[in-house]
Amino acid sequence: MDEALQDAYDRDDIDALIRLYTSAADAAEDRHEIDAACFYLTHAFIFALERGAPEAAALNLRLADRGRSHLLGL
Amino acid sequence: MIDQSPLTQVMSSVNTANGLPNEHYVDPLVFEQEKRSVLFANWSGVGFGKDIPEAGDAKPFDFLGMPLLAVRDRDGSVGVFQNTCRHRGMILVDQPRNIAGAIRCPYHSWCYGLDGKLRATPHVGGPGQNTHEDVDPEKLGLFRIRSHVWRDVIFVNVDCKAPAFEQVHASLIARWSEFDQPVHHGGQTSSLQLTVKANWKLAVENYCESYHLPWVHPGLNTYSRLEDHYNIEERGAFSGQGTLVYRQLTDDQGTTFPDFKGLGRQWDEGAEYIAVYPNVLIGVQRDHSHVIILQPIDCETTVEHIELYYAQTAQQTPDLANLRATNAQMWKSVFEEDVFVVEGMQKGRHGDMFDGGRFSPVMDSPTHNFHHWVASQIEQGRVA
Ligand code: FES
Ligand SMILES: [Fe+2]
Repeated sequence: MDEALQDAYDRDDIDALIRLYTSAADAAEDRHEIDAACFYLTHAFIFALERGAPEAAALNLRLADRGRSHLLGL
Repeated sequence: MIDQSPLTQVMSSVNTANGLPNEHYVDPLVFEQEKRSVLFANWSGVGFGKDIPEAGDAKPFDFLGMPLLAVRDRDGSVGVFQNTCRHRGMILVDQPRNIAGAIRCPYHSWCYGLDGKLRATPHVGGPGQNTHEDVDPEKLGLFRIRSHVWRDVIFVNVDCKAPAFEQVHASLIARWSEFDQPVHHGGQTSSLQLTVKANWKLAVENYCESYHLPWVHPGLNTYSRLEDHYNIEERGAFSGQGTLVYRQLTDDQGTTFPDFKGLGRQWDEGAEYIAVYPNVLIGVQRDHSHVIILQPIDCETTVEHIELYYAQTAQQTPDLANLRATNAQMWKSVFEEDVFVVEGMQKGRHGDMFDGGRFSPVMDSPTHNFHHWVASQIEQGRVA
């Protein structure tokens, strides 16, 4: 995971960053580590927002549902 | 407050007036004062719409040390913002680029929309907690700079206090209403930049007079004589010169650029060159137009951004590529011929005894009109 992330950062591969942070969030959620999940979700969301990626809406919703973000009309 | 002589002598009639005193060209403190009361208090040109053609295109500009960001929004409109993050003041965008979704600050990743609204504040309430009751995104959007696009020039009024652009320049807009149609930039060869070691005002002053043409541009004057030129002046707004003998550029085959549509007969051989105060110089001719933005770098350095525009796009007229290049070359040599006088007047203003100079009551009224305007702006700034 760390290596894949580092690699994505090195390549400036935003799509990969969105994907990797989302799966890290999913895994943390499965372990009921909500703070960690929201940390990763935040990163996935911010990169998706920057990129104008369609995933941004769902990621924003997941954070907003947990009271971690304002709900944007995406 | 700078101890300065009143500018009444500058503001008297052209017959008896002196030009602006030396300090307006060589003193960094006066430059700073003019930055506020002349350039920030009015509609100054900072860039060109053609540099941000697509939705999401963003280009940073430095305007007298003020970091600005011009952005093309999804609806095609241009917005200008202060290029400074509302969090810790980081520069947001340091290179021209396309923003696909949001402007993300490179420091802590606060994100802004193309409309400047603050969209996200990651971890602002602690890790994974992206809101905080004391951080209201509604109040923390990017500072919007008042802007207006005319003839592809992005004008800004930094202090937000000037009347609307259309109001300030109503008379010029009416004068050139026939040219109120789309202009298309000629592409890479139609873009020139000159750095001159001179105060920006000297470039304005040289542009709006025709007195120097036979001496500095003898080539131009083989077909454009002094008596074929007239002065243009509008108190408080603009000044320049017109010609009655504009000749279109042609190649060996007699090809010319297509004309702007529906122009009256006066433009068959008429052309006008006007300084739109403070720092934008525009020339209109039947078949092309040029725009120069004077970017003041410091008291004695100016970058001239020169752009050529046509009635049809480069894509529509690929066969005119050579003619466009020739035309750009022609203008380049004309503007380069002006560099030594603009730089020479700058050097001359280090002569302590120069008193601003005396004008030709007949030939120099466009220059005097500009000085009158600058002086009135400075006096207004002193009162304010
Ligand atoms: S300075 Fe921009 S997010 Fe911190
Ligand atoms: Fe000239």
